[in-house]
Amino acid sequence: MTVQTNSPERATGPDKPDRLSTWRRALDLVLSERVALLSVLLVVVVGYFYLLGRQGYLVAPYDTDYLASALETLVPLCLLALAELLVIVSGRGGIDLSVGSIVSLSGMAFGAMVGLWGWAVLPALLVTVVVGAALGAVNGLLVAYLGFPALIATLATYYAFGSVALLSHDNAPISTGPIQDAHSLTQAVSVPLLGDGFPDLPLQVATFLLPVAVVVYLVVNRTSYGRRLYAIGTNDIAARFANIEVRRSRFSAYVASGVLSAVVAVVTVAQFASARPDAGSVGSGMALPAITIAVLGGVAISGGIGRVAGVIIAALLVVWLNAGILLAFEGSDGSQFQLFALGALLVLSALLNAYSVRRGRGTG
Amino acid sequence: MTAVTDVAPPRRRPVARAVEGQELALVAVLAVLWVALSLGTETFLTSSNLSDLLYSVAPVALVGIGMTAVIVTGGIDVSVGSGVAVVMVVVSKLIRDGGASLPEALLVALLIGLALGVVNGVLIAFGGIHPIIATFGTLNLYRFLALRLFENKQVTGVPDTFAGVGGGGAGETIGVPNAWWMTIVLAGLMWAYMRYWATGRHWYALGNDPAAARLAGIQVRRRLVAAYALTGLFVGLAGCVLIGSGGLVQQNAGTGLELQVIAAVVIGGTSILGGRGTVLGTLLGALLVGTVTSAITLLGWRSELTELFIGLFILVAVGVDLVRERRRRAR
Amino acid sequence: MTTTHPEGTARSSSGQPAILRLTAVEKRYGGVHALRGVDFELRTGEVHGVVGENGAGKSTLIKIIAGAEAADHGSIEIDGQPLAAGSTTSALGAGIATVYQEPQLFGELTVAENVFIGRELRRSGVVDRRAQRDRVLELLHRVGLDQGLVDVRVADLPVAEQQLVSIAKALSHDARILILDEPSAILTDREIETMFAAVRSLRDSGVAVIYISHRLDELAQITDRVTVLRDGSVVASRDTATLSVREVAELMVGHALGSGTADRSAPEGEPVLQVERLTRQPKFYDVDLSIRPGEIVALYGLIGSGAGDVVRALFGIDPADSGVVRIAGKEVSLRSPADAVGHGISMLPANRKVQGVFGTKSIAFNISSGHLKMLSRWGIWVDRGRERDIAGDFIKQIRIKAPGPATRVDNLSGGNQQKVVLARQLVERPHIMLLEEPTQGVDVGAKDEIHRIIFELADAGAAVLVVSADLPEVQQLADRVLVVRGGTVTSEFHRGARAAELLAAAAGDAEPTGERSGR
Repeated sequence: MTVQTNSPERATGPDKPDRLSTWRRALDLVLSERVALLSVLLVVVVGYFYLLGRQGYLVAPYDTDYLASALETLVPLCLLALAELLVIVSGRGGIDLSVGSIVSLSGMAFGAMVGLWGWAVLPALLVTVVVGAALGAVNGLLVAYLGFPALIATLATYYAFGSVALLSHDNAPISTGPIQDAHSLTQAVSVPLLGDGFPDLPLQVATFLLPVAVVVYLVVNRTSYGRRLYAIGTNDIAARFANIEVRRSRFSAYVASGVLSAVVAVVTVAQFASARPDAGSVGSGMALPAITIAVLGGVAISGGIGRVAGVIIAALLVVWLNAGILLAFEGSDGSQFQLFALGALLVLSALLNAYSVRRGRGTG
Repeated sequence: MTAVTDVAPPRRRPVARAVEGQELALVAVLAVLWVALSLGTETFLTSSNLSDLLYSVAPVALVGIGMTAVIVTGGIDVSVGSGVAVVMVVVSKLIRDGGASLPEALLVALLIGLALGVVNGVLIAFGGIHPIIATFGTLNLYRFLALRLFENKQVTGVPDTFAGVGGGGAGETIGVPNAWWMTIVLAGLMWAYMRYWATGRHWYALGNDPAAARLAGIQVRRRLVAAYALTGLFVGLAGCVLIGSGGLVQQNAGTGLELQVIAAVVIGGTSILGGRGTVLGTLLGALLVGTVTSAITLLGWRSELTELFIGLFILVAVGVDLVRERRRRAR
Repeated sequence: MTTTHPEGTARSSSGQPAILRLTAVEKRYGGVHALRGVDFELRTGEVHGVVGENGAGKSTLIKIIAGAEAADHGSIEIDGQPLAAGSTTSALGAGIATVYQEPQLFGELTVAENVFIGRELRRSGVVDRRAQRDRVLELLHRVGLDQGLVDVRVADLPVAEQQLVSIAKALSHDARILILDEPSAILTDREIETMFAAVRSLRDSGVAVIYISHRLDELAQITDRVTVLRDGSVVASRDTATLSVREVAELMVGHALGSGTADRSAPEGEPVLQVERLTRQPKFYDVDLSIRPGEIVALYGLIGSGAGDVVRALFGIDPADSGVVRIAGKEVSLRSPADAVGHGISMLPANRKVQGVFGTKSIAFNISSGHLKMLSRWGIWVDRGRERDIAGDFIKQIRIKAPGPATRVDNLSGGNQQKVVLARQLVERPHIMLLEEPTQGVDVGAKDEIHRIIFELADAGAAVLVVSADLPEVQQLADRVLVVRGGTVTSEFHRGARAAELLAAAAGDAEPTGERSGR
């Protein structure tokens, strides 16, 4: 039996800033709006390393040319982080630990098509994408239709797909001529119209990252599918009552993750001029940095919350921060401090998430 | 008025179980595998192969003991691999350069592991961070710490202080590696703790329903930190086992350990959603993973197949568990 | 009471001493006067039923006794000693234990562990397992559970036994007063007998039981005395034997006729929705109904009656096992919400928090989420302008109190959230509107608003089926009331039927009246 009470209307929006100074308001905004915070951090980081460079503390100048070339690492990281955005937003503990293995396996497929069977790049690319979609569909089937927890399902496929990648071509990379030629897809080119004044950008930024990022942005923000994704991530029971096909939408998120991983595979093969069976398992694997960037970018692990803009800026932040660290330290110290930066960023952003949820502001 | 009929299907009287169904199935699968391998190869059932197997499974099983508790509370810890690396680099240098004795080195290992585990526990229980995020973060931070301590080169010439738990002859008692004896004993203790001690049972309550657990008077935060701290202790022990007879400690020590541990725990029947699972299952899961690895080598199959089988076993184990739970709930 | 249940040995406990006494207890919540000068007395060794409509003050009374709330005025005495107000610890310490509807147990732990979880018996620091086990065995015996269950996982037990474990757990606090809140709501008839046996044996051993229930027919079987609450006051407190179900119902609702029923013209025409022998075991069976365009039909029943399951089957959420559904004369299959929506059926779910709102999203997002295809160009590209306009229109039309369409829904009050979910159902004018508990937990103003919308819907030609356990609402809205009990429709009434009759029919009169008697 419920006692019906008049619950007071809760107003929305920030408190009336009668006596708060503009600084305080700006601080509030930055803390609660993840995109704002990340943009500020980005400026701080770039500015900091630039100054360090000017004062001679860096091994090489931290200038626009360097930043442009660092975008090479942005492409795979950003695309995989967007893949994680899609599956994490889809809710019910959504996550994809298998992205690295999908990269390896579809990379080998691409390598076989172009390097061994002499296909042209474009048709090979399309088929590779289909391969990625199929691999993602396995994840989607397990999670959306069979009810496996995503962590377990994608852990299992991480092992399974990675294993198949190693088995294909006897655990040897494919670096034949056509593959070497494909490297031209990823060289640095000058930006048309901006010419000499503007640094050369890696080609894949324009040919792969930009179009895919735009498509993901549009799908997530402007299409009915995107709405369904956020709905099922927020409350999949209410979504069912709202006549949304929960299982199908969740399944598609994992397929999309597979597609994005396949794109990363092609870029990686071209970039290294070699299709390596363990491409996705270097270091601690590709899933880890991708998930880190997604969380840093404001994606909530519980689902239903996360912005493409946040993920992209987070990826930029991590890439340029890592680039700066590489210059600031000698030898392999740089790569070690990158680990520290990644870990610290993740923990701090998670603490911030938890803090703002407690304050009732959500994660921006 | 006719009542809504009791459509209760004839049900078996619920029986208090000492061993879960999943564990029995695992024992059966292991038995079948071992029999098949003994018959199929000449080398599987040899004492040297078996002791190699048990020695290689020991670190995974040890960490798995702690990880079982963590996953039962509904959490996870992916930082254990990096934690092991930190322990190994510190302890190996300590015994090589500092001349530390076995008890001293062991104590240091445990303390370091404990500290690393407590950090995880505090971030999760008090910082309110989701376990996978927190431990992804510490995975990186601990790996950074380890690499800094390695000073860009592997640790060579490590003395055999820990040979007693190592992989060689010195580390065996009646043919079984001491590391494995230690694992069994500790597993037994933990199994008993999680089955008979109130605070052990609290982990299950916590994993079942954290809100109700708090209402029931369970110290939720303390129990969470305890689970991660204990895992840290086992990380310390695993580090000592891996140092073993000494020699070489490489910079990539512990890489990938967390996934093997999680696989062992999950195959052993512990639910990733929390509230269910036993250490016995984890031991069996670890043995299964180790058996598959050994089998593939002995059968002369491609070593890459190992991971494929592990992936398949995870799916089967979790799938069976899902079906069983669904059937139970429909009653 | 006039029922034929030989086991129901209602006793007159007038000779027993009072163990609990409330005097002139008052409680207000904001503007709501929940309890007005309530006197209540509980004697040792009696089962005392407490009944009342939603909002009559039952749960407030219980909360005050259990120490979850403190009374504003008045006193509580246990054994003649005053009880500290507002403290669950004091209440527990004084021997007052409560068992709620949903067993608050940990499925993975054993029966014994559940009883003492969090308060384990210790002896010099270590848990005294033997003492605990002995205690639990004794408690199991007291509630009539097989002692062999002591080490069984609770999740392996059927619901009825789980509830007995909850009772055992309550008793483990050395309870002398046991409060049972709607214990039979989730039990089948056979299971209820088990529970009754346990309650009787506890009574016989000296425990005083407060038994709260909507099911009036149970009162005769299990209670010795009954107290009826209405609008925060005690209207009667008598021996069960002196009351009939009808009399209790009258006391609960008063003698007033159905209040403020609307003046509505009788709907005409062929039924647009016809349901025959709809069955979904074990929730409901052989349900027949038909609704004409413009008609509002209510399925009125207590919790667990199966009424909600019927509409959820009609919306395809939990489809029926068998039966025929015809829409505009044509037989249809409703196996999913998509099927239902395709046939022009819309549904407002009962629990807005779990089944209705996307809390972290805006009003516009919430409203449009049910109609994404319609609101998108080529079915893909969401027309945000149109979405905003529609949301803005609804905000105005149904008076949603919010700054604008971009407002986050979980910042709104319950009533306004409910309006948002309702708005979602109205975007594409449904032919058939299903509503489950449309004004549950909603303030009076929003309630009126929602009723107004329902009338407008019907006036515009929709067939409306409302599931509600709120009697005044049923009387206000419905042209026809189908009373649901035990999973099937037992009687039918027309607009203007007396509240007491409706309540009696739903709550367990052995001789139901009405135009159509039950099976």
